[in-house]
Amino acid sequence: MTKKEKTFIIYRQKTKNSKPTYERFKVPLTPGMTVLEALFYIQDYYDHTLAFRYTCRGAICGSCGMTINKFPQLACKTQVEPSEIKKHPRVQELVFGEISDWDKDNEILIEPLPNMPIIKDLIVDMEPFWEFYKEVKPYFNREINDTPPESKQTPENAKRIEQLIYCILCGICWTCPVSGKRKDYLGPSSLAKAFRFIDDTRIAEKQRRIIYQSAMQENGVPACEKIFACNAVCPKGVMPGIAIDKIRKLETK
Amino acid sequence: MKVEEFDAVIVGGGLSGLRVAIELADTFNVAIISKVYPLRSHSGAAQGGINASLGNTEAGKEDNPERHAYDTVYGSDYLADQDAVMVLAKEAPKIVIELESMGAPFSRLDSGLIAQRPFGGAGFPRACYAGDRTGHALLHTVYEQCIRKGVKFYDEYFLIDLIKFGNSIAGLVSLDIASGELVIFRSEVIVLATGGFGRIYKRSTNAIINTGDGLGAAFRIDIPMQDCEFVQFHPTTLFGTNILITEGARGEGGLLFNKHKERFMKNVAPKAMELAPRDIVARAIDTEILEGRGFEDSYVHLDLTHLGRDKIMERLPGIREISMYFAGVDPIETPIPVQPGQHYSMGGIASKYKGDFGETPVEGLYSIGETSCISVHGANRLGGNSLLETVVFGRYVGRAIFKKNSRKKLGSADIKKAEEASLKSIEKLFTTWNKNKGKKPVEIRQAMKTTMDKNVGIFREESNLQQAIIDLQKVQKDFKTMHLETSDRRFNFGLIRALELRNMVDIAEVTAYAALWRKESRGAHFRTDHPKRNDKDFLVHSLVSRKNGELIIETKPVTLGIFEVKERAY
Repeated sequence: MTKKEKTFIIYRQKTKNSKPTYERFKVPLTPGMTVLEALFYIQDYYDHTLAFRYTCRGAICGSCGMTINKFPQLACKTQVEPSEIKKHPRVQELVFGEISDWDKDNEILIEPLPNMPIIKDLIVDMEPFWEFYKEVKPYFNREINDTPPESKQTPENAKRIEQLIYCILCGICWTCPVSGKRKDYLGPSSLAKAFRFIDDTRIAEKQRRIIYQSAMQENGVPACEKIFACNAVCPKGVMPGIAIDKIRKLETK
Repeated sequence: MKVEEFDAVIVGGGLSGLRVAIELADTFNVAIISKVYPLRSHSGAAQGGINASLGNTEAGKEDNPERHAYDTVYGSDYLADQDAVMVLAKEAPKIVIELESMGAPFSRLDSGLIAQRPFGGAGFPRACYAGDRTGHALLHTVYEQCIRKGVKFYDEYFLIDLIKFGNSIAGLVSLDIASGELVIFRSEVIVLATGGFGRIYKRSTNAIINTGDGLGAAFRIDIPMQDCEFVQFHPTTLFGTNILITEGARGEGGLLFNKHKERFMKNVAPKAMELAPRDIVARAIDTEILEGRGFEDSYVHLDLTHLGRDKIMERLPGIREISMYFAGVDPIETPIPVQPGQHYSMGGIASKYKGDFGETPVEGLYSIGETSCISVHGANRLGGNSLLETVVFGRYVGRAIFKKNSRKKLGSADIKKAEEASLKSIEKLFTTWNKNKGKKPVEIRQAMKTTMDKNVGIFREESNLQQAIIDLQKVQKDFKTMHLETSDRRFNFGLIRALELRNMVDIAEVTAYAALWRKESRGAHFRTDHPKRNDKDFLVHSLVSRKNGELIIETKPVTLGIFEVKERAY
């Protein structure tokens, strides 16, 4: 019996400024194989220079965000079979290079994350992402203290920020078209992070104010166009768009 | 030659490394180098909790650090150093409060205090948690504090080798993964916080990156590896991918069943049942599978269905997500298929060799967290103690470095010579790999993993371990002639994975060698040919090093004196 195979079309780019190409690889399938495992197979057996980020393979570290069949998602969480073409009305068509002969029924197309500079193959430059993350000053500034008791918080208040805590900072929400056209846009991830602190009942008022103001800069919340592609693509159900909306509503209070 | 100079360099951006940085950031010129963005670190995969005898719940009122220490020592099958365990347990309540002050989003009780849940081998509900994503919550919190303090990060830098001068650490050589350049970090204080080495096994809960890089580098400068035979197999990893299913699932009331719908834990731990320590539950599950009472000869059921939707959604949402994504099973309706898998390395870089906890035999070189063997876990780690170890000893070692404050003059002609020699040997290694005509890295990696899974697993015996040694010697030989094209080094993950393999082949050999030497059963190390614990000959730590190309074993006494050594039963 011949082993079942699947063809992967992979976006290749040697350096930041070189012209992209697409390369096909045939990967023998194993039960439950994920896209990330298929990429490792290609790296191990065909071309060890194929570049992509990975860490946990369990959808908790946020390393392996990429565009799979034209939809940004985590490679570790995406099954090869059945191959799915995900679509969402809020997610615009993503174009990386010219690919005219993609057989959608039989081939899986792998491209980098959108709206970030591509450095090599599936590796994007995450530096702006981390810079904007830092810009909202995402931290408590209380005195670090180890004397009991801990500061209290009701279970209800802890729950308010629970969904925001799940954010793994994978960068998939930068699919947002605003991130595409404005290189200075803080991005859904940073603004959701800002709200994680703004909405934490334990944070000092002064720090809350500082974070709120960084989020409300012209290139922050006001730049959001309420497209909500971020909500549609987030692999962890964080709903950054809802967080942005809530920050916006704080202003009018 | 590109050189960066610091008062202290921390290798690894997980909880251990980040916590050291916080301690030193105000007074030292300190840098963290990490092969991944720090928030990707494996600390973030920890699920169930962090132990501290806060006594926040009604059932935990009587808990205290001594009880925590006792449970830890008893769970360790008496191999843990009791003085280190006392530090761990006494610091625990303080360190958890400290994490909360940093903003850690713990789950809460109705009283508003940090919530605590029961965990295996613990006398009280002691594990403080943030849902079932405790590690993720803590990793983010401690990283945020590093951002607040302006800690300098070198993200995506890979530690290749350490540079020693005399018996002192002088720096390290790293590979800047993005540019492919070799970069020297010159420092007389280096902290290795690179995590564990679970990826020497195929069936493992560990991240792909857990390849023992700090251990490999330390081993090559003649630092002994301690207690590496003690490998924790987590009882409940998802069948297929071996992704972790937290002990918290059993802490919340999850039950284990074989295919005859029997709660088989009653046969081995009638009192503790599903909440016996991990080594005992893992062996029980493996026995069910080996004796034909598993499903498809591969797994048992972890049943949460009786907990109900609300409790699962509130306490174990991540477990539900993992089960649905990776096994197509919704635990609200269907039991989760689980099997044991490699999870944690109790052993590691020998610590307190001459000085204090976290200090290695080389002056100025420290190791903490899973990289180290301090030893607080002995022969078996209790759930909830690993997150705890990272932050307790991160802070402890940070303070020790601050106190010593031994900032010497660097960059003498001799040290530069040592740096150049180190660079040269790495360049030579890359050239050799390029020229070699041998096997591909993947073949060698798989041969290593196959023999580790088969011969150095949950149940071990003389002939299997002998076979592992033979296999691993072959692996070492093949590694020497391995072929890898190394001319383009920018984001060359093939090269990174080969460097990781370089570390793993050594540590795999050490693990098998120590397992062969230890002719007794203690904690996670179970020898079917020596099924009893033997305190007369083996109540000692093992230390493996390489002398003249051959592995040798020495021993180090276990620090006792606080708790009396007894039989262990649950």
